[in-house]
Amino acid sequence: MSLLELQSLLPQLILALGATAVLMGGAWLENRRVWLVIGMLLALVAACAAALFEPPLVEVAGMYGTSLYARFCTVFWSLCVAATLLISCRYADLHRFGGGEYASLLLFAGAGMSLLSAATSFVGLFIGLEAFTLVLYILIAFNRTDNRGAEAGLKYLVFGAVATGFLAFGIALIYTATGSFHFTEALAGLQVENSLRPLGLAGWAMLLVAIGFKISLVPFHLWTPDVYQGAPAPISGLLATAAKGAVLAAFLPLLGGLGEAGGVVKEVLWLLAILTMLVGTFAALPQTNLKRMLAYSSVAHMGYLLVALLIGGAVGGQALLFYLLVYSLATFGAFGVVTSWALAEEEIQDYAAIRGLGYLHPRRASALAVFLLSLAGIPPLAGFFGKFGIFHAALRSGYTELAVIGVLTSLISLYYYLRPVIVLFMQDRSAYQLRSGCREEYLLLGGCVAAILFFGVYPGPLLELVALVLP
Amino acid sequence: MAETTTGLPFLSLLLWLPLLGALLCLLCYRSATVCRWLTLGTTILVLLVSLWLAFAGSTGEAGWLLFEDRSWIEPFGIRYTLGLDGISLLLILLTAFLQVIAVLISWDMRKHPAFFFALVLLLETGIIGVFLALDLVLFYLFWELMLIPMFFLIGVWGHERRVYAAVKFFLFTLAGSLLLLLAIISLYLLHGEQTGVYTFALAALKQTELSFGQELLYYLCFMAAFVVKVPLFPFHSWLPDAHTEAPAAGSVDLAGLLLKTGVYGMIRFAFPLFPQATEKSLPVLAGLALIGLFYAAWIAYLQFDIKRIVAYSSISHLGFVILGLAAWNQTAWEGSLLLMINHGVTTGALFVMIAMIRQRTGTREIDKLGGLWKTQPNLSAFFLLFCFASLGLPGLANFAGEILILVGVFASHPVWGAIAVGGVLFAAAYMLRLVQEVIWGSSCEPFDKSDLCQREWLILIPLALLVVLLGCYPQPALEVMRGPIQLLLGGMP
Repeated sequence: MSLLELQSLLPQLILALGATAVLMGGAWLENRRVWLVIGMLLALVAACAAALFEPPLVEVAGMYGTSLYARFCTVFWSLCVAATLLISCRYADLHRFGGGEYASLLLFAGAGMSLLSAATSFVGLFIGLEAFTLVLYILIAFNRTDNRGAEAGLKYLVFGAVATGFLAFGIALIYTATGSFHFTEALAGLQVENSLRPLGLAGWAMLLVAIGFKISLVPFHLWTPDVYQGAPAPISGLLATAAKGAVLAAFLPLLGGLGEAGGVVKEVLWLLAILTMLVGTFAALPQTNLKRMLAYSSVAHMGYLLVALLIGGAVGGQALLFYLLVYSLATFGAFGVVTSWALAEEEIQDYAAIRGLGYLHPRRASALAVFLLSLAGIPPLAGFFGKFGIFHAALRSGYTELAVIGVLTSLISLYYYLRPVIVLFMQDRSAYQLRSGCREEYLLLGGCVAAILFFGVYPGPLLELVALVLP
Repeated sequence: MAETTTGLPFLSLLLWLPLLGALLCLLCYRSATVCRWLTLGTTILVLLVSLWLAFAGSTGEAGWLLFEDRSWIEPFGIRYTLGLDGISLLLILLTAFLQVIAVLISWDMRKHPAFFFALVLLLETGIIGVFLALDLVLFYLFWELMLIPMFFLIGVWGHERRVYAAVKFFLFTLAGSLLLLLAIISLYLLHGEQTGVYTFALAALKQTELSFGQELLYYLCFMAAFVVKVPLFPFHSWLPDAHTEAPAAGSVDLAGLLLKTGVYGMIRFAFPLFPQATEKSLPVLAGLALIGLFYAAWIAYLQFDIKRIVAYSSISHLGFVILGLAAWNQTAWEGSLLLMINHGVTTGALFVMIAMIRQRTGTREIDKLGGLWKTQPNLSAFFLLFCFASLGLPGLANFAGEILILVGVFASHPVWGAIAVGGVLFAAAYMLRLVQEVIWGSSCEPFDKSDLCQREWLILIPLALLVVLLGCYPQPALEVMRGPIQLLLGGMP
């Protein structure tokens, strides 16, 4: 690799090398806070590097692009990692996490995610995806004393391994059909009518299955609630936001380049979108556990995002990125509140345990209410304009049926988003006093609430930014 | 696009003052007294600003009295457009006035006062926003903004079945408004395809060329949101629960203001945007209104909870209002809008009175009440006055509106008019029963025998004055709305 190539990958290098350094350092100096803070700073530096530093090359080693889009994604995932580290500060203390390992694993995950969304070839895509999935196996089961965590880690591992198999086989088939790993050539190869084209499309089908597992589309979503429930809350937050976002972001340009051949793939996606919206929504209805409800809600939201992915082009891409951002803010915030309420022995997840908590911890409970209402798409919160953008794009591209289903499921989703709000504020107190929040948590949750309110009232700047970075 | 704003942004001031008050309330959450006075100050300030607008502006003209237009979300063509005409001015005056009453009636709120007053103020911003917005997305935002505060007001401070009522209210109204959202977006896209200009401005969207089928579809989606809010029979089932379970201030706001936003949405958006569909739908509207008028009155007569009686009377009165709109002439419309204002004042006053009675007797059951006149003559006198106003006694508020509606309806559809007259009789029946059972009848001992206190006098006197004034001399209100109504009726069937 030449120096220029290394320079072009600067943010990813900061993340990966930083992770290694933190891991090494953690063995010598056992101070949790220090490593979490250093990890957070490294992630922030990587974000700054991606945002401000103009990479000298357009593509590195034929595998990773350095487009504005890729840089934007890197910034976003790095910020997610930094936020996860920040919110974990007290949580890690409570559960006696090894600070060095924890910070280093999260940084590795950040590097993997940013490589994934920068991939321009199937090899790069595979490496990026595996890099952060492997890290997540460990992070999910990071709390060694928790059996649920171990179960969740194993579940994610088994499903993840199957998905990896599908992904590798799909890539192999596409390679056989087109003779190239590089996106542009591999996609162009599929446009030509020849005897190998069915093979390529079969490869795409495998690829879709793999994506389905990773972003938990119905019917590949079964792992989601168990894993989210068992994983440490900050990690669930990362799983639901950046980990899914990175996969979606990687496939947005890929699907756009599919052109004519995309017709068949889009039919499948159309069906998956409908299934995901409906099943995710209805499965969330009977939940009485905050984390499981958020897991199913994230499934339903993947359905909305799939609608945007399906529409593609500038309209769909903008809607997708905007939605992804506001969805991430709200979901991350909701898991952040769960993190902040966690006790040393367990996390407060059941609705029965949060009854009347709204008046004991008004700030965090109100924040949770804001996040849930934003997920439900109630104006004037940012989630409204996210849904607005997707329905608008769907109607504009002639997917009226998807818009109608989306509207209906949004309506139904209100029930399960309102339930925790009702439990928090409208039921008599049975909850016991929890720890008051620490400064880092308030900072992060306050930031999320402010951003959701701001973009709900004035989404213009974010929309323009999203339009600017789209390829 | 150029920014056109005339003079000081009074409309924005009117709109955002309550929100500012709400934020200040949350900041001063430690002291209930500060919150109270802050909220009262804010609502009075809003009332003063709207009164100033009413007296300073050249009211009665057809155009916009005040207009604001700023760029907001350019990528979607959404603009911050506010406009004030005679109709919205009257409704805003009503809003500002009733909010002051709502704050005064909840003066002793002990349960989380800061949160409560902040929500009341937030609700005020939402309602005023609905009456001012001229951009469809902006309108939709305020339309939904009304939901959340009301949901919490019912759900946290309500009575026994509050959560059920709150969720029912939320789901009913939201189901309607999501259809509205779909229709707004697709209308916007259609207009954009036709003209190349993507905008949500009401004035521009009126020019969209639609086939009758499209128009009907959009019209139904728009009306879905509005008829639920009004509520028109058979979409009314959320209202009795919401009214009954809501705290006093919530009931005052629901009956006095929220229901009016539905009617306002029809006359400002649904009718002008889809004139052909409107013309065809008028008989249906009239039919439903008449059914609602009688059905609700009949149910009101059978109720045992005095709050439910008043709640059903609201449905009945709103049926009258819709009937007036369906008659589609100047007189009937003037009557309808006047009745809306009058109904806001009288029903608001009745809910205030019910809260006072409940405070003294601890019950709302009509069987357990009676003989209030013996112990609380002043309170009973006011109750009598508002009940008579509500049943449409000449010289008091509702009469003026009802008679205008009847005159207008007889002019165009004598049969509807003939049926509607019976409704007045029904209103008399359930209202007289209410008065008889509560004020007279077998006496029951209230545990608190005190008559009106100073604060209660302060609430009731303005309400009573307004009821008499609107009944005897509605001319100023009618003049203010005359021009805008002509404009809305002109160019249509």
